[in-house]
Amino acid sequence: MNYLDLTLSEIHEALVNKQVTPLELTKEAIKRAKENKDNAFEMIIEEDAIKRAEELSKHEVPKDNYFYGIPYVAKNNLSTKGYETNASSNILNGYVPLFDATVIDALNKAGAILIGKSTLDELAMGGTGTSGHLGTTYNPYDPKHLHLIGGSSCGSAVAVADSIVPFALGSDTGDSVRKPASHSGLVGLKPTWGLISRFGLFPFAPSLDHVGFFTRSVKDSAIALNLLAFHDDNDSTSSFKPKVDYLKNLSSDVKGKKLAVITEIFNSIEDEAIKSSFLKLIEKLKNDGAIVEYINFDNKLLNAIYPTYMVISCAESTSNNANLDGIKFGPYLGGKTYQEVMYNARTNGFSPLIKRRFVLGSYSLMRENQQELFLRAQKARRLIVNKCNEIFKKFDAIILPASPTPAPLEKGSNEKVRNDYLAADNWLAIGNFGGFPSITLPMGFEDELPFGVNITCEPFNEVGMFNIASNVEKNTGFAGLSYQNHLEKEVK
Amino acid sequence: MNFETIVGIEIHVEMKTKSKMFSLAPITFGDKPNTEVALLDMAFPGTMPRVNKEAVKNAIRVSNALHMTIDHELWFDRKNYFYSDLPKGYQITQQARPIGSEGYLEIDLDGEKKRIHVERLHMEEDTCMQHHFSDYTLLDYNRAGIPLIEIVSKPEIRSGLEARKYVEKIREIVTYSNVSDGKMEEGSLRCDVNVSIRPYGSEKFGTKVEVKNLNSIANVEKAIDFEAKRQSELLLMGKEVEQETRRFDEAKKETVLMRKKTDAADYKYFTEPNIPPIKLSEEFIQNAIDTCPELYDHKLERFLTDYKLNSIDAKIILSDVEFANYYDEAAKFTKLYQALANYMISEVNGYLNKNDISILEFKVEPKFVAELVELVQSKQINSSQGKEIFAKMVKENKSPLKLQKELGATLISDEETIRKLVLEVLAQNVTLRDDYKAGKTRAQGFVMGQIMKKTGGKVNPGIANKVIVEELKK
Repeated sequence: MNYLDLTLSEIHEALVNKQVTPLELTKEAIKRAKENKDNAFEMIIEEDAIKRAEELSKHEVPKDNYFYGIPYVAKNNLSTKGYETNASSNILNGYVPLFDATVIDALNKAGAILIGKSTLDELAMGGTGTSGHLGTTYNPYDPKHLHLIGGSSCGSAVAVADSIVPFALGSDTGDSVRKPASHSGLVGLKPTWGLISRFGLFPFAPSLDHVGFFTRSVKDSAIALNLLAFHDDNDSTSSFKPKVDYLKNLSSDVKGKKLAVITEIFNSIEDEAIKSSFLKLIEKLKNDGAIVEYINFDNKLLNAIYPTYMVISCAESTSNNANLDGIKFGPYLGGKTYQEVMYNARTNGFSPLIKRRFVLGSYSLMRENQQELFLRAQKARRLIVNKCNEIFKKFDAIILPASPTPAPLEKGSNEKVRNDYLAADNWLAIGNFGGFPSITLPMGFEDELPFGVNITCEPFNEVGMFNIASNVEKNTGFAGLSYQNHLEKEVK
Repeated sequence: MNFETIVGIEIHVEMKTKSKMFSLAPITFGDKPNTEVALLDMAFPGTMPRVNKEAVKNAIRVSNALHMTIDHELWFDRKNYFYSDLPKGYQITQQARPIGSEGYLEIDLDGEKKRIHVERLHMEEDTCMQHHFSDYTLLDYNRAGIPLIEIVSKPEIRSGLEARKYVEKIREIVTYSNVSDGKMEEGSLRCDVNVSIRPYGSEKFGTKVEVKNLNSIANVEKAIDFEAKRQSELLLMGKEVEQETRRFDEAKKETVLMRKKTDAADYKYFTEPNIPPIKLSEEFIQNAIDTCPELYDHKLERFLTDYKLNSIDAKIILSDVEFANYYDEAAKFTKLYQALANYMISEVNGYLNKNDISILEFKVEPKFVAELVELVQSKQINSSQGKEIFAKMVKENKSPLKLQKELGATLISDEETIRKLVLEVLAQNVTLRDDYKAGKTRAQGFVMGQIMKKTGGKVNPGIANKVIVEELKK
């Protein structure tokens, strides 16, 4: 056993008690990062991380600073000063930012040690972890590499699930933290839109984008949110709400809490293991005093989630990535006119999947289509959010399996726009539509692959969300889950 | 056949705020290329816009001056297109909800007022400056993100002259409200005009032609007049006016084709997701209006009533807001308002013109100019001494009272000293007394001339005249 196999709060305790130093942790994390075979890293930051760890090891570890000396990983669409940040897209190869994202800055200041930048689906536009320019990122739970971990925050999920680090930053526009968390037995959180600054996050679709993160326990998630939730003048959408201490408010008492299960979504799930695991969990929640009701959402609205998500996110993405034109960013490949310069850079820089999304987005914004596509999607988004707000008037949370299946096989998966549609596979985007706080945590295993449950609440009800999540964690016993810990348990 | 000219004008005004529309990069103008650039201005991935409060205040002030309805919520949109001068690949503007809508201004046509309605006023950001060379182009991002106000008139302008007056009025508002320096030749006020013609009495608009690159107000007038003539000649020859964009060629004094317009570009507008709608409180709006620097019309009225200036002089002083502000400041130190006006228009303005500088570069405190006017007017010094003091004052920015002492620029005001001088002259010219008594008043002037000659002009002329008359009458 190594300290890196513990949760962030446990490691912190070991640091405070001088059982381990930031330097030892960092060296081990870098070693593990190098040994990992799942294609999780765009870059491992060795020299600087060790220098920093050495410096931090000279001082007493402050008791109240959970991140002091903690090695972590950031998704490579978060701007890091001096370290190439390419969003796993060829068009940004070689781009070294001049500034740190607000979240990176906050972690730096707290004394956390960035040991690597993780892989993602190209520009975070995907859900499989297969479309980054370094190829597919695999699930540590399957050393044979048949299964995916999901995306787009695939590399960050690997880093935490494989105990390389206890904490990793991701981003979530549709479910890009919460879905891979489900496939890798992690706690994946995306808080209320505006709670964590997006300054320095490469925009995919700003109205849906969130900074999120992976941890191995609900407590760690609350600790991380304590650090990262604050107002930031650099992000005009950043919330002005007073700070809340999520750790202090953490309780697992769910007596009288009202939880809603969306019937249509639950019924559409075919995986028996997931279904029975969920039903068992619900029984346990009820035993602890929660009131659980099955409610109808409206199939029409549920069926609209995916097209609504695609239209809005693709439309916004065309605009957000228009700066990558070969003039300021992206490869300069020559051209007789400025149009040719842009055309050459963008044609060569983006993969076909991305260009496909841009075409979709552009098409839906065109004057003649805007009413029928973009504005209609906005309307659908509003209706879905209104429906959720109605639910939140009566319920503390929506609880559902985070995914209808465990990690999917690589074979047969693709990032193309699909015709087959399953609400249960896309419902997490509701959290992005309404900017709702939403957390995924491990619920069970099927054929050695984990799957998760998700809890989604009304905006700024993170305390309520952590409360229910904490009870779920108590009932599942999965606090601290990682691939290594899981193996060891199996052996015993 | 006679045609009516129909003109609509879009004006872009560059604000002179301290920082840019959506970033904290400073704006000083004329600095080295690419030195006033924030990460956002170059569209670094992950940077986000922050709305400049001063720019919003400016937009409110101009909207108010144009009698517009002011939106109490700020909304921004993205205008998406690819161009080499557009850093982000989109411009943040206010398409759906401009901050100002439905207003008007009045122009003066030979004493008659005509109201021109203004459709909308919105805020947006400037693009970067391109410098084209034979086989390459350089980009200067200093201009990228500078706040702009776009003001769109209704097509109610009917001639080049009306257009000129309209633009003059807009410039007057934006300069007097201290929103912009309004210099067309430097691009801080840019005009695009849409010109079409139609037979008198017709309700239907003709095909409109857009004219760009108008770098002076005079050229606005010339371009419209030329364009109206060109279009009517086309129609009279049985040809059609084509929808196109033209530019004004200053040398040829005519408009030349830039490009034919096909379908209007599709800018794929959508709401800027990184700026939430911002509520503007009634208090904020009212405060922006109340703290707006005094506008032209108000200032003119005050100059006429408080300072009792004649209207020609008042208008000359008001033709430059900074000049007017200087006058206002100087007027705090003297009651000789008209004399101060005369002095400013002749001496100060003459100096500025001679040295090709603006009043902002004039180093003398307004108080000192007022003091100098007092000195000259009270005849404590003569005009050549006044000029001497002025010349030193502009170099040293010292009080004219101090300079008067330094230069020893005083006049002989002692009656007995003067009387001695007068008597000397009369003694040498014995016929003068008789001439005077015989009605030849020239004698008086002759004596004055002589004593001035003797003293090098340093006799107080008021006192001297009195003594001369007394002595001639004896």
